[in-house]
Amino acid sequence: MFRYLVRRFLQMILVFVATTFIVFALMYATGGDPIQALAGERPVSEQQRAQLTKLYGLDQPFLVRYWNYLTGLLRLDFGKALNGRDVSEIIASALPVTAKLALIAIITTIVVGVVAGIIAGVRRGSIFDNSTLVLTLIVIGIPIVTLAPLAQYIFGIKLGWFPATAAGREDDIYALLLPGIILGALSVATAMRLTRASFNENLRSDYVRTARSKGLPGRRVIGVHVLRNSLIPIITFLGIELGALMAGAIVTESVFNVNGIGFNLARALRTEDAPLVVGLVSVLVIIFLVANLIVDLLYAVLDPRIRYE
Amino acid sequence: MTDIHVETERVQGHHLLEVKDLFVEFHTRDGVARVINGVSYHLDPGETLAVLGESGSGKSVTAQAIMGILDMPPAKIPKGQILYNGEDLLKMPEDKRRDIRGQQISMIFQDALSALNPVFSVGWQISETLRTRMGMSKADAMKRAVELMDQVKIPAAKARLKDYPHQFSGGMRQRVMIAMSLAMDPKVLIADEPTTALDVTVQAQIMDLLADLRRDLNMGMILITHDLGVVADVADRIAVMYAGRIIEHADVRALYKQPAHPYTKGLLESIPRLDDKGTVLKTIKGLPPNLMRLPTGCKYHPRCPYTQPICVSDEPRSLNLGNGRTSACHFAKEMLSGELG
Ligand SMILES: Nc1ncnc2c1ncn2[C@@H]1O[C@H](COP(=O)(O)OP(=O)(O)OP(=O)(O)O)[C@@H](O)[C@H]1O
Ligand SMILES: [Mg+2]
Repeated sequence: MFRYLVRRFLQMILVFVATTFIVFALMYATGGDPIQALAGERPVSEQQRAQLTKLYGLDQPFLVRYWNYLTGLLRLDFGKALNGRDVSEIIASALPVTAKLALIAIITTIVVGVVAGIIAGVRRGSIFDNSTLVLTLIVIGIPIVTLAPLAQYIFGIKLGWFPATAAGREDDIYALLLPGIILGALSVATAMRLTRASFNENLRSDYVRTARSKGLPGRRVIGVHVLRNSLIPIITFLGIELGALMAGAIVTESVFNVNGIGFNLARALRTEDAPLVVGLVSVLVIIFLVANLIVDLLYAVLDPRIRYE
Repeated sequence: MTDIHVETERVQGHHLLEVKDLFVEFHTRDGVARVINGVSYHLDPGETLAVLGESGSGKSVTAQAIMGILDMPPAKIPKGQILYNGEDLLKMPEDKRRDIRGQQISMIFQDALSALNPVFSVGWQISETLRTRMGMSKADAMKRAVELMDQVKIPAAKARLKDYPHQFSGGMRQRVMIAMSLAMDPKVLIADEPTTALDVTVQAQIMDLLADLRRDLNMGMILITHDLGVVADVADRIAVMYAGRIIEHADVRALYKQPAHPYTKGLLESIPRLDDKGTVLKTIKGLPPNLMRLPTGCKYHPRCPYTQPICVSDEPRSLNLGNGRTSACHFAKEMLSGELG
């Protein structure tokens, strides 16, 4: 187990270095002029240019800059955004917002997707099963770039059930509800189908027959024996889905003006704020890697047949 | 109170368990498979009934009908009775039936690896019914689980309580399954091919264990198998199934001495014996019948070496040959006297 953890940790570092390197390279090699991007429309004098070049370390070779960035990370120093703020400061304010959003999204996925999947799986072939099957087919087909503005228009503007924008109200859970649910809606259909298939398969297993022959009531057979086995692929899915959620957050947060990681990333890309982009992507990569590690460890907890050596 | 009740009923002539003229069919997309076609057998306390027959003859389906764990649909029971202490299980409301399941009649299965839940420890699984149905505390239930594991001779039972099914060998796993089935002191134990998945040496150990338990606990045991060799030492009576019927029923010794049905004779001749190594084993020719399109007359006639015109046209009725012996063959008497075969 310990050896496994060490190996996983080294792997994570490797993946982290590789991905951030790629982003770093892409951001600084796109040919744009970062100093002009910083100044916007204003002209930049030679003296200012030299000064800024020095400040951002643009005069050093690429690899040296990347190395400085990496070692900075160890001190939680993400560098400075082009607007002068510490990237770490921006992350510190944006991360909790995105975390809340992701939490709402995951809860939505579980409550709607997993529960509906269980019902559909247990009552296979019922009206509920068939209608949700059709519904998920439709939902899977709608991309989030369509879904988010559509929901904003219907529920935020037309019906007025939710605030149409969360700008400046990131502490208000109510304002985050609609974007969170929309973000979760992405995975609902997949979660439902996966849960349904997993339940279906487990319901047919021999151990279910055994549980029934022990005279256990149906709700215990399903709620304990089948559920516990079906949970294994579902938890794996939810963990991996966190990655997709982060991608979805870029769109959702932009549409609803939620000042989270995704919103800031979209803005940083637009303004070509290379240090900010690299910093935010680094955070996303870390979230993704940690989520995957947690899923793998949970997997071993849920399935005693799995042993990590 | 209930015991007195049970006793009086037995005096009135009830068996512990009696299956009477049972029919089971499966309604599938391809049509109706008539899997059980009038099976009758009975069981008394402390005895072992072996149910024998080829794959697909309906041994397990009959057992599952007794347990009440058939999925209905697709299964349907158009006719028949399953009497437990004289009470028809098929007419009982589900909650009453569930009380009997596991507590009065319990069952063990062929492949213990898949029949046990992979994600719960064996102690948890053995004690589950004690906790949830008998209202025992967790600690007491676990203590009882250790006793049960000792009883089925699992070494170091206490230390293995928290182990998972996959950590046991095949034989030990089947012992866990047996311990679990005994948790609520059942009166009837149905063992559906309990040794088929095991090595030969382990098979014998498990059979011995079952025989001992049956004697010590005075249970009635239904031992399902397709291996005639296994049952000789263990069983009191044998019911031979073919195409969803009991085609012969007899005391073990009587049946071994002289089978009264050509199918049984075929089965006996296909057992390898230690004493005549040189002889070539006979096997029964042909395939089991298609349950969607059963043959006319005797269902065994397409494979029977003694087929006569009457076998093709008329279905033989179960003939009473005395001493509880029956055979569903037009020529049962001739078989018995040795005139045929
Ligand atoms: N759920 C089902 N749907 C359709 N047919 C079924 C179903 N379950 C069993 N059968 C059929 O019923 C017949 C009898 O099956 P059963 O399992 O009782 O045989 P068996 O005598 O136990 O054989 P084996 O020695 O292989 O265990 C088989 O032909 C099988 O295909
Ligand atoms: Mg079977």
